[in-house]
Amino acid sequence: MKFNTVIMGGGLSGLTCGIALAQAGQRVAIVATGQSSLHFASGSFDLLGYDSEGKAVENPVEAINALPESHPYKKVGDVEKLTAQAQDLLAAAGIKTTGKAGKNHNRLTPLGAVKPTWLTMEDYITIDGDKINYKQVALMNIIGYLDFPTKFIADGLRKLGAEVEVKPITLPELNEARKSPTEMRATNIAKVLASEAIVKRLASEINAKASNAEAILLPAVLGIKNSELAQLLKEQVNKPIHFVATIPPSVPGTRMQALLRKRFEALGGTFLNGDKAVKGEISGTKLNSIETEKLVGTRLEADNFVLATGSFMGRGIVSDYEKVYEPVLGADVDFIADRAQWTRDNVWEAQPYMEFGVKTDAQLHVMKQGKPLSNTYAAGQVLSGNNKVKLASGEGVDMLTALTVANNILNK
Amino acid sequence: MANEMQLNNISENNFEQCLKCSICTVYCPVSAVNPAYPGPKQSGPDGERYRLKNPEFFNDALKMCLNCKRCEVACPSGVNVGDIIQKARMKHNTHSPKLRDMMLANTDFVGSMATVVAPVANFAVSLGVSKAVLHSVMKIDKHRTFPAYASQKFETWFKRNAQAQQSKYSKHVSFFHGCYVNYNFPQLGKDLVKIMNACGYGVHLLDKEKCCGTALIANGLYDQAKRQGETNMSSMRSAIAKGRTIVTTSSTCTFTMRDEYHHLLDVDNHDVRDHITLATRFLFQLIDEGKLKLAFRDDYKKRVAYHTACHMERMGWAIYSTSLLKMIPGLDLVMLDSQCCGISGTYGFKTENYETSQKIGDSLFKNIADANVEAVATDCETCKWQIEMSTGVPVLNPISIIADAIDVEKTIELNKNR
Repeated sequence: MKFNTVIMGGGLSGLTCGIALAQAGQRVAIVATGQSSLHFASGSFDLLGYDSEGKAVENPVEAINALPESHPYKKVGDVEKLTAQAQDLLAAAGIKTTGKAGKNHNRLTPLGAVKPTWLTMEDYITIDGDKINYKQVALMNIIGYLDFPTKFIADGLRKLGAEVEVKPITLPELNEARKSPTEMRATNIAKVLASEAIVKRLASEINAKASNAEAILLPAVLGIKNSELAQLLKEQVNKPIHFVATIPPSVPGTRMQALLRKRFEALGGTFLNGDKAVKGEISGTKLNSIETEKLVGTRLEADNFVLATGSFMGRGIVSDYEKVYEPVLGADVDFIADRAQWTRDNVWEAQPYMEFGVKTDAQLHVMKQGKPLSNTYAAGQVLSGNNKVKLASGEGVDMLTALTVANNILNK
Repeated sequence: MANEMQLNNISENNFEQCLKCSICTVYCPVSAVNPAYPGPKQSGPDGERYRLKNPEFFNDALKMCLNCKRCEVACPSGVNVGDIIQKARMKHNTHSPKLRDMMLANTDFVGSMATVVAPVANFAVSLGVSKAVLHSVMKIDKHRTFPAYASQKFETWFKRNAQAQQSKYSKHVSFFHGCYVNYNFPQLGKDLVKIMNACGYGVHLLDKEKCCGTALIANGLYDQAKRQGETNMSSMRSAIAKGRTIVTTSSTCTFTMRDEYHHLLDVDNHDVRDHITLATRFLFQLIDEGKLKLAFRDDYKKRVAYHTACHMERMGWAIYSTSLLKMIPGLDLVMLDSQCCGISGTYGFKTENYETSQKIGDSLFKNIADANVEAVATDCETCKWQIEMSTGVPVLNPISIIADAIDVEKTIELNKNR
């Protein structure tokens, strides 16, 4: 099977790259091994939340300049232009966001903490500086839903200057869902709240319990496929209502995965779901084709390839007791030889292994045995040099490197 | 040493790789509509930890699993969640199958009997009174339309009308037709013979073919499934020895014989597995390698939606059927979102599952209605029954679409000297 570009990895970076290339008219295939870490998404997109010293960043575009040369952002070119392109790409897929690259805003975590971020999906609560816009909020939670620690969130909101009342809500169908109490998770609740009729009844329940609150906050449990039902709820509730991120699995993340895949396929892309690239056929410095686990006897050939397989969790890089390696192409990986140095005892400290990843040249070509593969690029968390937890830079690196790779392929 | 231990210490079905991320449950069609089912994570790897300590932790709710394997497709860590659940059922379930389950499971026996008296059988099961008896006594849901039985088995037709001509071809394949082609819809088998012959391939039956066993597994008749599996593997070995690939037209039979035999039944298929393939994959791969060409009729025109059956999704092979269909110039192909139709073989026929079954398929039926198509294409026969009953839109196997669209004379001409 022949394509212009074959992308290994179907998460945020793989899909971003695939959409950008398909939009430009390329025939693209994505090989996606299982579902992606988008299912843990917070509903916000981080660009650069903290600098290397751990200080909160106000202007990510400026702060990126101060990052070390080893950081992937140093290979992406015009950050402001790319961030605008990323936001447009999301909007075209049906993911509307607010925020801008030149000025971080704050998001509210499921544990009630406040963290700087770049974009937040519409309908989510955002915070400017250290004050929330409302004096009195009703924090509502569904009875039996345990992945939303209301006490922590209420404490967090109080620190932002709001008076908070916690209100339990329910519907007969949601009570029914408690038959499997351990599975009362955000995504299962979203599957119960899946029709217009039930969302209207949920709105009545919310209106009845709102008392004198100025605004309602609700866990993000609505709209697993698109944002239509969230929109309907907003119309039906007679006060401003905002979602708060929950502990995963994430409803907005599952929705993003579905919408980005839909957009990619609508542009003519081929999404090979649940398959896995297992090896590549390389001659000289060129990757000719890859083989997958499922399509035995069919090689996927392409002019260009993209490695967007993620970090340890996505198994884009793998460790054993002696080394860290990239399992598909045997690409060069940056890691510390002494295994004792991979981790630090204090779990809250920056962990060195988080920066391990595939080596690339200035154009994000994958390095193998010290030489760049001329038609193979890497994007997203598989890249070395980024600690996304410490820097709060995950989604930005995913999208900006993916768009850069797409541009590098198109401008060849 | 430590490295050796880590690399070699892989548990059955990758069970220890589970991170408890719950992504499998997000994509479970049953837990989406039936809160009594605890979902794949809880029923699979979570429950297995307890069951390993004490089998008392086995829970009857596991029988609500459809065995659709969508949890395995979704798992980012390569855990065979569905296999863990099926294995637990095999190991711990103490209920013996009911008469109803045995009837639904024994597709070979029931099919052989029914084709003999096909008109009577078809008439009888269509009667309201029969359906009421089946519903109340047998617990086979009254809403179901029974697949009609053919008056002549595919094997009988083949032996009388086609077998003699097959030796004149220079290349050959063996055809595992399955129960559906044999007893319910011989036309699909005839369509396959038509295409293969046009491409220059002779088609042959296996020495002895038994039902693949998928319905037996689903209904708890494991020993019988294993015996039938062994018969099939031995027949296939002798076909492979003659240099023949075994082609099929059913995604579920294919999946069962390639993966479930080894994973669930301990039937040794390691030397056979890679020789079993769907006919659409067989054709596509030959075309892709430049070894085959198909010519299509100029006057063929149809708008068709493709539905990815669950086991097709698990095999990752929808790309073969759809790529082949896209080669037909007059075919306007619409891709439906991949999701379970709810029937899952015999599952949806059971009264206790009917409601769950229809709820699972609901959004698929809506998508089909919105797609405004003349037909739905899918590689699975039980999806066909479910979609036809629930939407009224005719459902065709991709092989039947190709057989309809192909220009036989031109195709013969194109492949003459290959």
